Amino acid sequence: MNYPDEITYGNKEHFRLASFSLPSSLLHWSKPPPSRTWTVVMTYQQDYLSPCLYPLSALSDIISTVEFNHTGELLATGDKGGRVVIFQREQESKNQVHRRGEYNVYSTFQSHEPEFDYLKSLEIEEKINKIRWLPQQNAAYFLLSTNDKTVKLWKVSERDKRPEGYNLKDEEGRLRDPATITTLRVPVLRPMDLMVEATPRRVFANAHTYHINSISVNSDYETYMSADDLRINLWNFEITNQSFNIVDIKPANMEELTEVITAAEFHPHHCNTFVYSSSKGTIRLCDMRASALCDRHTKFFEEPEDPSNRSFFSEIISSISDVKFSHSGRYIMTRDYLTVKVWDLNMENRPIETYQVHDYLRSKLCSLYENDCIFDKFECVWNGSDSVIMTGSYNNFFRMFDRNTKRDVTLEASRENSKPRAILKPRKVCVGGKRRKDEISVDSLDFSKKILHTAWHPSENIIAVAATNNLYIFQDKVN
Amino acid sequence: MLGKGGKRKFDEHEDGLEGKIVSPSDGPSKVSYTLQRQTIFNISLMKLYNHRPLTEPSLQKTVLINNMLRRIQEELKQEGSLRPAFPASAPPAAAAADPLGSSSREAPPAFSQPAPAPCELGGAAALEACLTPASLLEDDDPDTFCTSSPAAPARLAPPALLPPEKDSFSSALDEIEELCPTSTSTEAAEADGPKGDSSSGGPGAPQRPEGLQEGGRPEDPKLMDSLPGNFEITASTGFLTDLTLDDILFADIDTSMYDFDPCTSASGTASKMSPVSADDLLKTLAPYSSQPVAPSQPFKMDLTELDHIMEVLVGS
Repeated sequence: MNYPDEITYGNKEHFRLASFSLPSSLLHWSKPPPSRTWTVVMTYQQDYLSPCLYPLSALSDIISTVEFNHTGELLATGDKGGRVVIFQREQESKNQVHRRGEYNVYSTFQSHEPEFDYLKSLEIEEKINKIRWLPQQNAAYFLLSTNDKTVKLWKVSERDKRPEGYNLKDEEGRLRDPATITTLRVPVLRPMDLMVEATPRRVFANAHTYHINSISVNSDYETYMSADDLRINLWNFEITNQSFNIVDIKPANMEELTEVITAAEFHPHHCNTFVYSSSKGTIRLCDMRASALCDRHTKFFEEPEDPSNRSFFSEIISSISDVKFSHSGRYIMTRDYLTVKVWDLNMENRPIETYQVHDYLRSKLCSLYENDCIFDKFECVWNGSDSVIMTGSYNNFFRMFDRNTKRDVTLEASRENSKPRAILKPRKVCVGGKRRKDEISVDSLDFSKKILHTAWHPSENIIAVAATNNLYIFQDKVN
Repeated sequence: MLGKGGKRKFDEHEDGLEGKIVSPSDGPSKVSYTLQRQTIFNISLMKLYNHRPLTEPSLQKTVLINNMLRRIQEELKQEGSLRPAFPASAPPAAAAADPLGSSSREAPPAFSQPAPAPCELGGAAALEACLTPASLLEDDDPDTFCTSSPAAPARLAPPALLPPEKDSFSSALDEIEELCPTSTSTEAAEADGPKGDSSSGGPGAPQRPEGLQEGGRPEDPKLMDSLPGNFEITASTGFLTDLTLDDILFADIDTSMYDFDPCTSASGTASKMSPVSADDLLKTLAPYSSQPVAPSQPFKMDLTELDHIMEVLVGS
């Protein structure tokens, strides 16, 4: 197996945090790293994909997934070029209070490479679809990263000492002639510059015929699942040549296929329970204790269609693009094209909360269908206390909904509006006739600037927002 | 924002339509509803057949677009069932040719003038043909024969080696491939007898793809490669069937279809290629067999149409 070369990063980039808040407060602005166009990686890709017609740098830098680890100390991003960049939060120091909580680049490595399926004459994209962290059990960090076909387990570890004083090798590693050795010494470990290495520990391949859309680590920390359009497989971390198929919705006659799996996740506490969502707007909760093949759900969540909102696109906009358990495990949140819904696991016939993300797009569905925007897969996230939910929209907007106060805010992640120490101003989209001064009309929204991926720190009000090839980290400094 | 000048016009037009809650029962807005439906239908077809990705297309997207087309077809079927008298197959063929030959922008005006029936039928016929691959597999009318079915729009699913214009030869192989994994549906389909000839809608075999029961509508050979068949290609190629490999190989080699003179070398060359090809070409003319006129007349007339379409597609 040919693993890609590790890319270790010596000089750390700096990330300053920007803050959002409804009251005013002084903030820092997070600068996206200019080093997203490292020449080493670009050269490799350019050689491989030279027949491409589009500039590689622009597209391969697009961030395709963002994920904090369980402590929030690390933030991982994956991009369309198959790279993973991990940021580490700077430790607080009394001397530099104002730099508290900055995220610096910790490690960068090429996780997946483009492959070619010779049988179908199609490329397999190296784009990282999802990254999921494992809980930390020793000094090293482990994460799962996946593209369309292959899941990999990466170990990220630090090395700050190296052995010196070998007898049979000199300092450069060359073998010494034993005849020249006159004394013996004991090798000692000496400190060295911190080096972060990423090594692939497991490769879980050849288990998915269709494109993997989700991976989820089980709460037993021994298994995880990977879901593609029609099947879900259960893996053991130690075993790479076998997986259990736990859900299979492929019909015997493919012509009858009308529904696909869009997302799946394990329950945060019950290792036997998981949910998966479908393109028809339904969520199924399954219990693995019931049977080996969980084709029959334990619970079935579906909201009856609102007849007044019926249109040609009702089914497409009901397709769920993301499903997330709350940290408590009591609720699930789903994202479809226009709304975010919160469901109580105990009530299957309708969600308990529905939030309109950008309802002004309802009258534009035909155009959005034509330019394919209607198929965009937005993700959604909970905050650490499950009181606020966040999701992205177009024009680099992202939205937050406070479940308790029922207030919501629209913010923008863009360079122009995020100067250092700036307050993020709430934005508003004007739907009616008269546009106020700071409002943006629906027709001037930029649909190429979409925020699909966001992440929320597990315990603090720090969020990471991916806007195309830029990563923004914002912090709410509530005093 | 959403597009350049021309598109903006289209958008505004569409916005005006979309703003209303249109139901087919409304009198004056029925035309706009039909218009919108036809537009969406055209867009969906273009999405499926004009897309040439380097990587495998998203199955979710394909499924959603297919469902959209199926739903429109269901509606058209229901409305069409109220109109027992079908016009001759030529107008539907012409109408069905429009979605393919012209851009979606031209389609709405084309359909707004004639009565809704032909365009609906054309759409229904097109969809019907798309969604009835099993029916195309059996045809026992040897009289109707066309070698130059207009190249159906590029398939979404097959390997990138296939030329953009889908020729019936490749689609025949695809159908054969579909035969292998789904042998039960094939047998059932064959048991139904000739589909193209029957003018009375009879319930199809249970194994038929859902919602595609009528045989009364003339099928559009241009859309003979089925929508659901796309799934089969993307799916079965993952299962390493031998046929898949053959499909790729044959698709690469076969270029003679483009040099066809439709009316002359039809039988000879096609039969040399492979009996399969000939059978398939026979099937493409199944709809024409329903004509009371001698087979050659609509044959030639439609061949001209199809040839024209072919030129357009090859030229583009």
